[in-house]
Amino acid sequence: MAALNKVLDVAGVSKRFGANEVLSDVSLQVDKGETVCVLGPSGSGKSTLLRCINWLERPDAGQIYLNGQRVGVSGAGIAMSDRDLSKIRTRVGMVFQHFALWPHLTVLQNLMEAPVQVQRRPKAEVRDEALALLEKVGLVEKRDAFPSRLSGGQKQRVGIARALAMRPDLLLFDEPTSALDPELVGEVLVVMRELAHEGMTMVIVTHEMGFAREAATRVLFLDRGRNVESGPPEQFFAKPETERARQFLQRYAGDTANGKH
Amino acid sequence: MSGGDIASIFQGAAVTITLSLIGILIGLPIGLGLALLRWANVPVIARIVAVYVSMLRATPLVTLLLLLFFALPNIGIPINPISAAITALVMNTSAFNCEVWRAALMNFPKDQYEAAQSVGMRASLRFRRIVLPQILRVSLPGLVNEMSLLIKVTPVLAVVGVVDITRAAVRIGAETYDPLPPFLVAIALYAPIVFALVALQRWIERRQSAAEAAA
Repeated sequence: MAALNKVLDVAGVSKRFGANEVLSDVSLQVDKGETVCVLGPSGSGKSTLLRCINWLERPDAGQIYLNGQRVGVSGAGIAMSDRDLSKIRTRVGMVFQHFALWPHLTVLQNLMEAPVQVQRRPKAEVRDEALALLEKVGLVEKRDAFPSRLSGGQKQRVGIARALAMRPDLLLFDEPTSALDPELVGEVLVVMRELAHEGMTMVIVTHEMGFAREAATRVLFLDRGRNVESGPPEQFFAKPETERARQFLQRYAGDTANGKH
Repeated sequence: MSGGDIASIFQGAAVTITLSLIGILIGLPIGLGLALLRWANVPVIARIVAVYVSMLRATPLVTLLLLLFFALPNIGIPINPISAAITALVMNTSAFNCEVWRAALMNFPKDQYEAAQSVGMRASLRFRRIVLPQILRVSLPGLVNEMSLLIKVTPVLAVVGVVDITRAAVRIGAETYDPLPPFLVAIALYAPIVFALVALQRWIERRQSAAEAAA
């Protein structure tokens, strides 16, 4: 039964950039409704892992399955066509560190673009749903603004709403708050927490330890491209098994004690 | 200078405008196509495009035109002056336009492109809906600059017998032994053509910023 609920299966993925091995035999299974936080020092391969999941980066080895379907490689073992790959990607939303909103489109147009152009859903329906999503992230009054008029926190909330507008099965967050001023981090985490609560399936690369501790159903700790440790957050934060994880957490201990998210 | 003379300069103006427009309308998309081939790094072809563009940019338009007009018939391809003129203009301007487009493409933010990929847009849709509207805007001043250069280089087409504004003025000057009036008329004609182009550019830019200010 568990297999039916499995949304994502990353099996032994490795990736190197030149001589630099960024990911080494990393595996990860995510069930429906889970919030998995991927933690680790910078350069540990977290973002690369995330980018392999929707094939923005091609792994050198290993497989990725989304809802049981192989990503990036077609039946005959050859690279997937642009068409097939795009079809899979409609099922996976991504939220970018630097928002990556389309500056020539208004907020509402950013949300409607892919559902209308890619999924070919009726415009009126998409519009209603997009407005509801903007309501949810608290930005409905900015619907006709261009992204350049928004603060970082607002941009990121639009980024999340844009990803949600596709009704994805899985949402990937690539350091969603790392580019934000500290006082704007909270408003984005509120939205993410709500999504976790609603049972959205998410994989989140983050440095927000407080968020991971309370919102994650599971934590994956990467170090130098290896999956060093994983488990429920209570266990990981209270009793990390490895020395690497302990050292890593110690560096954040000060922040958490000071009440930083 | 008679009324007939003035009429013939205006006829030259019609030739200048027509040939320039044809050169621009064909050269612009070809330039974009060449830029895309290089941007996508299509194996072998991207290299060929790079060499083609560098060679054209290094070749004076007159020389290219003379080559087409005199050498092509020699290898069995007959060509008339107008065809040679259009071909030379298109080849020349597409090479320069290619570089303008390419600069805009190279500066296009990678994460915006990846965002389009991540929502399942296929390559053609990504280009049409996300990339093109933005590079068009960035490239516009550079492209208009190339266009006005193209208009002003059209007098060289006279070397193969095309009668444009300047050539018409030269003829009249030679016939009347009074070159000043026809050249004044000629110069007065180039300015509004180029100004019209610049006005068009301003209008497009104003329309864009008005749309943004309204939001």
